[in-house]
Amino acid sequence: MIQEWQPVIGLEIHAQLNTRSKLFSRAPNRFGDEPNTNITSVCTGQPGTLPILNREAVKKAVQLGCALNSHIARKSRFDRKSYFYPDNPRNFQITQFEEPIIVGGEVVVELDGELKKFSIDHAHIEDDTGMLKHFSNFAGIDYNRAGTALIEIVSTACMHSAREASSYAMALREILLYLDISDCNMEEGSLRIDVNVSVRRKQETALRPKIEIKNMNSFHHMELAINAEIARQIRIYEQEGDIQVGTYRFDIEKKETILMRKKEKPADYRYFPEPDLPPILLTDAFIEEIRNNLPELPAARYKRYVEVLGLSRDAAVQLVSDKPTSDYFEETLKNSSNAKSLCNWLLVEFSGRVKQNNTTLLKLEIPPHHVATLVNLIDSGTITGKIAKSVADEMVQNPQKDPAHIVQENPDFRPIDTASIEPLVDAVLAENSESVRDYLAGKGRAFDFLVGQVMKRCKGKASPELVNQLLRSKIDSQGLG
Amino acid sequence: MHYTSAQNLSEQFKNGEVSAQEIVSFHLKRIANHDPKIQAFLSLCSERVKEKARLLDLKRKSGAQLGKLAGIPIALKDNIHLKGEITTCGSKFLENYRAVFDATVSQLMEEEDALIIGKTNCDEFAMGSSTEKSAFFPTKNPWDLNASPGGSSGGSAAAVAAGFSPLSLGSDTGGSIRQPAAFCGIVGFKPTYGRVSRSGLVAFASSLDQIGPFARSVSDAALLMEVIARHTDDDATNLSIPQEKYREELKNFSPRGLKVGIPWRFLEGLSVEARKNFEEAIRELKSAGLELVDIDLEILNLSIAVYYILATAEASTNLARFDGVRYGTRASGFKNLEELYDLSRQQGFGPEVKNRILLGTYVLSSGYKDAYYRKAQQVRTLIIKKFHEVFALCDYVAMPTSPTTAFELGSLQDPLQMYLQDIYTISANLAGLPAISVPSGFSSDKKPFGLQLLSPSCKDSSLLSLAHLYESHTQWHKQIPPFAAEAL
Repeated sequence: MIQEWQPVIGLEIHAQLNTRSKLFSRAPNRFGDEPNTNITSVCTGQPGTLPILNREAVKKAVQLGCALNSHIARKSRFDRKSYFYPDNPRNFQITQFEEPIIVGGEVVVELDGELKKFSIDHAHIEDDTGMLKHFSNFAGIDYNRAGTALIEIVSTACMHSAREASSYAMALREILLYLDISDCNMEEGSLRIDVNVSVRRKQETALRPKIEIKNMNSFHHMELAINAEIARQIRIYEQEGDIQVGTYRFDIEKKETILMRKKEKPADYRYFPEPDLPPILLTDAFIEEIRNNLPELPAARYKRYVEVLGLSRDAAVQLVSDKPTSDYFEETLKNSSNAKSLCNWLLVEFSGRVKQNNTTLLKLEIPPHHVATLVNLIDSGTITGKIAKSVADEMVQNPQKDPAHIVQENPDFRPIDTASIEPLVDAVLAENSESVRDYLAGKGRAFDFLVGQVMKRCKGKASPELVNQLLRSKIDSQGLG
Repeated sequence: MHYTSAQNLSEQFKNGEVSAQEIVSFHLKRIANHDPKIQAFLSLCSERVKEKARLLDLKRKSGAQLGKLAGIPIALKDNIHLKGEITTCGSKFLENYRAVFDATVSQLMEEEDALIIGKTNCDEFAMGSSTEKSAFFPTKNPWDLNASPGGSSGGSAAAVAAGFSPLSLGSDTGGSIRQPAAFCGIVGFKPTYGRVSRSGLVAFASSLDQIGPFARSVSDAALLMEVIARHTDDDATNLSIPQEKYREELKNFSPRGLKVGIPWRFLEGLSVEARKNFEEAIRELKSAGLELVDIDLEILNLSIAVYYILATAEASTNLARFDGVRYGTRASGFKNLEELYDLSRQQGFGPEVKNRILLGTYVLSSGYKDAYYRKAQQVRTLIIKKFHEVFALCDYVAMPTSPTTAFELGSLQDPLQMYLQDIYTISANLAGLPAISVPSGFSSDKKPFGLQLLSPSCKDSSLLSLAHLYESHTQWHKQIPPFAAEAL
């Protein structure tokens, strides 16, 4: 039965731009401060105040448009959107309704080994509201957030499963992070996703009524919510019922979507051009300058990791989807060219160690070049992989300590030279003449045994290559003798 | 002292003939004695201005460079902020609202050592043409205490006409500087839209509002323009054009080869007396050396309809912030948020403001927006285009400022009759053009007429120069209302 239905999903993603000041005032754009401290007379809608557009916000919007391969409007403008609510200090929001700055564009996602393109309808700049705080017998308003620059990215109704929706949203989030235009923190509300969902019979071409789900605080919840809503709509249609159009929220306990408010008739926001702000006029030169200076985007970085650095797809995905770690990896690459080993040390060795200590590599602040030094010490044969693991233990304990110093200071980590290994090799050969004969007779395992014996005696401090080499040359010379 | 020009007064102060404190106390005393008859002021900044005067006297004694407006008392329309002082906008809603910042114009004037003396009465939120729509009291016309001073900046016009201050500021959205200037027999200038920063002016209709000076001569108005007409970064519509040397240009002006367009057909409805006054005025222009040409501006018959759609649409959103939540009137006894909004706005706003909010909300509503708001925007564009065409044929346009002289208080009860007051002034706001009203004589019942002159956008200085030429030919501006004959 379920196969007969096709979900149709579109997302509206609000991302707060991480500009230094707000969209229309000089007030700082900062989360988490004492209520009503980051405000100017503009933020509380005092009479006589005027909005002044933040150029940094425009630049960041254009960066996004370039990254999404959108059309950047040479002329866009603001509109007033009227509605009364206490968190809306002018009782109108300044948004871009008729002429948005970004039109079209796409987000490309690799999903189950297949490239999928999700298309953007438009993206526009607008200002955020304040926040209502409810107390026992009154409500307060914090205008710190009021006037923060938002970019609202509206997709087309191009997604057909919860996974598609979340992979699109995650890919978009990565792009925003790589452009460094938003902090994209869903818990703090700097990334907010509204989902529009409807279902239809597979052969239908028209869309059925959609509902909106608001306030999702993670991608996981978003997937759960969409799946619950799809199932609910199908159930209702199969029972010949009607979908109640409106805004829903997702109840995590009950795992179901719950109607918050019905939409009987569309709200009349009485949009009209904002007379206090002239249109935003952009030159080709301005846009090209931004396009030519875009940072590396996640898709390009993934491609480079796999094709140029030779990382596994899994490792590349793991790095790219965690921008801070990926950036850290980039730093380590400046001092070592062994990308695979660096990647392994970051994603496996260090990540395991810091997890035990309940922290993260970045929080520990081990300088990236120290990780590179460690890999170089191994690659040059100065220390063995085994010793490197002990050195790494100590790096986690003393994050600022250079691994080269750690090795130097600890006699156990000090590299063993040929002169000190030679007597050990001689002793092992003398005590295991049978194994030597076996080796000479062509039994490879006998040689491995001999290597193991030497390593045992030097407590693993000699590099296996060196031991191999010494053993071979000694046996060969013995054989000749 | 009360009819000394602003520039002379400032010179006397700079020369040490009179101190700033003497100037201030004289004007405050004069206001105390005579303003009860006129009611031009809503509030006086007595303590503040006395302190400013004391400091200014010290500054003069120290030999420091004195500002362009040193020692000149200036009155502010009460919709322009002066930090720490109350800005009522003539509304109950803001009866106790203290400005949290200085309007840019206030700051610019005080940087030039102006003495801001008080806040003047106006129609509520500048919505009106008589100052009768002030929530507090109507202001009287110094030429006839039973007549209106015009509006909405009636208090600022009356203050200058009555000799309470040589200069004042008003705001002009559809004629609110020019019409009261005409009614009160003084000069009132609405600069090009965007010349003067609107920051700190409580908005009525943002795309039309412009701050401008009242003065008893064009030259004094030019002085104030030199201070307030500056590019700033606090109003995104503020034009980025160089400051002009207004007074210098007045002196160097030559009318040779310049043409004044008269939209005769558009003026057909003028009363006999007003027409006669206007014809005399343009004869003066001709004798001063200007060429007169007939132009077609019949499209301006649509300007009132267009204006009352666009201005109210903008006003309905500009005034949405007055909701009782953050400042201003908060009704008591509300049971929920809706009632807080409804009751606060019901109690805080007067009937004219409510009319306009309703009208503006209506013309923007879905289903009506295309028929009203969009259509009006289209006609506005046509009016702008028409002015472009007209200014290809002439350098200035002349019209009466108002179809009548000052009407009796209470005589215009029909809102449409009141709206018709603005028929000649609105188009300059719709097209963003500079326009000035200069005194042009008197009616048989001794009330002043005003001649209105318009010029192309950004030609403010050239317009002031023509007005100055006319003024020096006629000398109407030197007449003093009989009421004001005595000094104190």
